[in-house]
Order: sequence, then C-alpha cells, then structure tokens
Amino acid sequence: MRNLLFLVVLIAHTSLLLAQESKMNNTEIAEFKAKINETSKATTTIQSNFTQYKHLDFLSNDITTQGKMAFKVPNMVKWEYTEPFKYSIIFKEDKLTINDSGTKSNMDLGNSALFKKLNQLIVNSVKGNLFQDSDFTMSYFKSSKYYKVIFIPKDEKIKSYIASFILFFDKEQADVMEVKMVEPTNDYTRIVFSDRLINKPLDNEVFTN
Amino acid sequence: MKYLLISLSLLLFACASFPKKNNLERINSDTPAVINPYFSDLSMDYIYKAKINFAEKSFGGIFVIKKLGPENHRVVFTTEMGNKLFDFSFIKDEFRINFILSEIDKKILINLLRRDFTVLTNENPNILQQFRTLGDSIFFETRIKNNTYFYLTVDERLHKILETKGSKEKSDYIFTEIENDHAGEIKIRHKNIKLTIDLKAI
Repeated sequence: MRNLLFLVVLIAHTSLLLAQESKMNNTEIAEFKAKINETSKATTTIQSNFTQYKHLDFLSNDITTQGKMAFKVPNMVKWEYTEPFKYSIIFKEDKLTINDSGTKSNMDLGNSALFKKLNQLIVNSVKGNLFQDSDFTMSYFKSSKYYKVIFIPKDEKIKSYIASFILFFDKEQADVMEVKMVEPTNDYTRIVFSDRLINKPLDNEVFTN
Repeated sequence: MKYLLISLSLLLFACASFPKKNNLERINSDTPAVINPYFSDLSMDYIYKAKINFAEKSFGGIFVIKKLGPENHRVVFTTEMGNKLFDFSFIKDEFRINFILSEIDKKILINLLRRDFTVLTNENPNILQQFRTLGDSIFFETRIKNNTYFYLTVDERLHKILETKGSKEKSDYIFTEIENDHAGEIKIRHKNIKLTIDLKAI
C-alpha cells in the first residue's frame, strides 16, 4: 500500500513537472524560429547588463560576476566585467583583445579554436541566430514564462568540454534572457541578461580596449 | 692540488646553506608549530582573480581553492568568462588531474603548478630547524618533496614562504592584506623561470 501511494505521488509530481515545461510540436517550433529570425533581423545593436554565475559543485556558493555586454552588427562584441573586478574582452573581426584592469593583451589562455567557437555561439545566441548551425542537435521546450532550446554539440571535442548549451528566450520579445553552458561534469556557467536596450546607437569606439 | 683546494672551497662556499649566507641565527626551542591557515577553512570558498605573466605574455583568470577535508584541496582555474582550464585535486600525497584543457596539457606547466599549489595548500609543515634575523622574522625550515622551504613569520603570522636551493632563493610566495586568516593578496615569484602569479581575493 505504501509503495502504491509512493507511486501515485511520484506520478503526480512528474506530471506536474511536465505541465511546467513541455516539448514544442513542429508547428510551434516553426513559429518560434520565425519569431526569433524576425527579432534577429531587426537587431543592429544590443546593450545589456549581465550577471554571470559560475557553478562548481564542490563550492558552497556560485562565483558571481557582473558587467555589461555590447553587440553591434555584423560581429562586434564586448563583454565588460565591472564587479568584482574590471576586465573586458572584445571580439572584433575574428580578433580578440583583452583589457585586464589596465593590462592589455591579445593573448588569452582561452584563445583557442574551442573558445572562439564558444564565443561565436554566445554571440549568435544573443542575436538569436543559432538555428542555422548544423554543428548541434537541438530540442525545443516551452513553459508559461519562456522558450527553451537545448543545443547538444555534434563535435566530440566540443562535447567533451561542453555537454550542452541551454538558451532561454523571453516569450514576449523572443530575445535571449539566459545562456547556460553545462559541462560534462554538470558544473555550469549561467549568464543572465537584464535591462536590455535594442538598436540604441552605439559608437564603434566602444569596441576598442 | 692548490687549484683543487681553491675550487673545492669555492664550491663549498657556493653550496653554503641559505641561513649561513644570510647570517641567520639558529634558535633552539621546542618543536614549533607553524601553520599556514590561508586555505584551511572548510566553510570558505577561496576565490582569487589571477594575473599571470609567463615569458613576456600575460593572461588572467580565476583561481578557485577549496578545502574538502583533512589534507584534501581542490584547485580549479577558469577564464573570466567561466571556461574551465584545469581542475586538480591534492589529496594527501596524491595529485589528481580532474580536467585540463588540451592546449595547456604540458608536463612542465603541470609540474610547476603542482609544486606551487602543494606549497600553498600545505597547512602544517614539518619543521626541521628555526632561525632568526636581526629583524622581526622567524625562519622555519622544512622540506616538501625534496625541496627546502623557509616559512617566514612575524608575530606568529606567516607572511612568506621561500623555496631555496643551496644558498639561493628559487621561488617565493608572499601573503599580504591578511585579515582573519585570509590572505587578500598572494604573489608567487620564480627566480629561474619567467613566471609570476598574482592573486587577488574577490
């Protein structure tokens, strides 16, 4: 009897979870993609605040950093960390420059093909322009608050580093609210965007370190 | 023969111990206890912004050090954007690589990092002798993995670890901005390799 009760409770819980987040059907996926493409095409600049949470399972707390992100078409991106340290990294015309609290360099341990790919992904996700990428297997979910797309890399090397990318899109504006990069060990990096400004004029000077 | 003697004495001089060369006075007292408390609190996440200079190149990242149990530390280095570069475990005498990015998977670098973090996380070194100078510092001599180290304390507080070879300094580890057994800044300097690591708590 107790086992039966347990089973009933378990099923009830599972269906509750499913009710919160469900898979999109093919029509919904097509509509969602169209919406994202529309938003993406109309976007020339993005300015946004962000909070980054680095989760390592063995730590008591996530490492929290904050800053501002700027994007301008076709492919200029600046990540400027302001708290708890000053650090900015600019990707422009396939080049990377860093200003680490005054120390400038164009060299980074992360300046590998892998990290370039990761950055390209984040940029494309901020632009909402990821679905042409044949390097991933994608699955689509929805809830009352957001759309969620899970990207699983096909490339074994990337997969050994990042098991999946998860993007959360706002249901109204269809822009990216959150990027989550999950490592094979289940450690992850989560970037949550806030106070986003779209198509506000942005000088090219912003993208110099 | 004369030359041999001169050479030998020169050699002896060159091999003089660090305390002798630096006029340190040996102190005889009970077995002292020196504690490196800077990574000893199980409840703390030790997070440092790092600036590393290696052979004219500089790069940054975030160092994470966590004590997980007695003689058990985890050391992880990520980029500012959160990408993991390496993840090491130091459990008693065992060293385990949980992850290292293939681009930096170089034995020489791993050995260097292993040595530095073994020293940084070693809490209770076995003291062999102690010395003092005219100043305030007490020098406690110990050996970690066949290398000689001196732990320098002022008012029973560790502020520097010196690695020596013969009479020469090889590396030093300097702890500053200390508050409640927490080092706000740590500097690691290597004399024979162009590598410096500056850590600042965040």
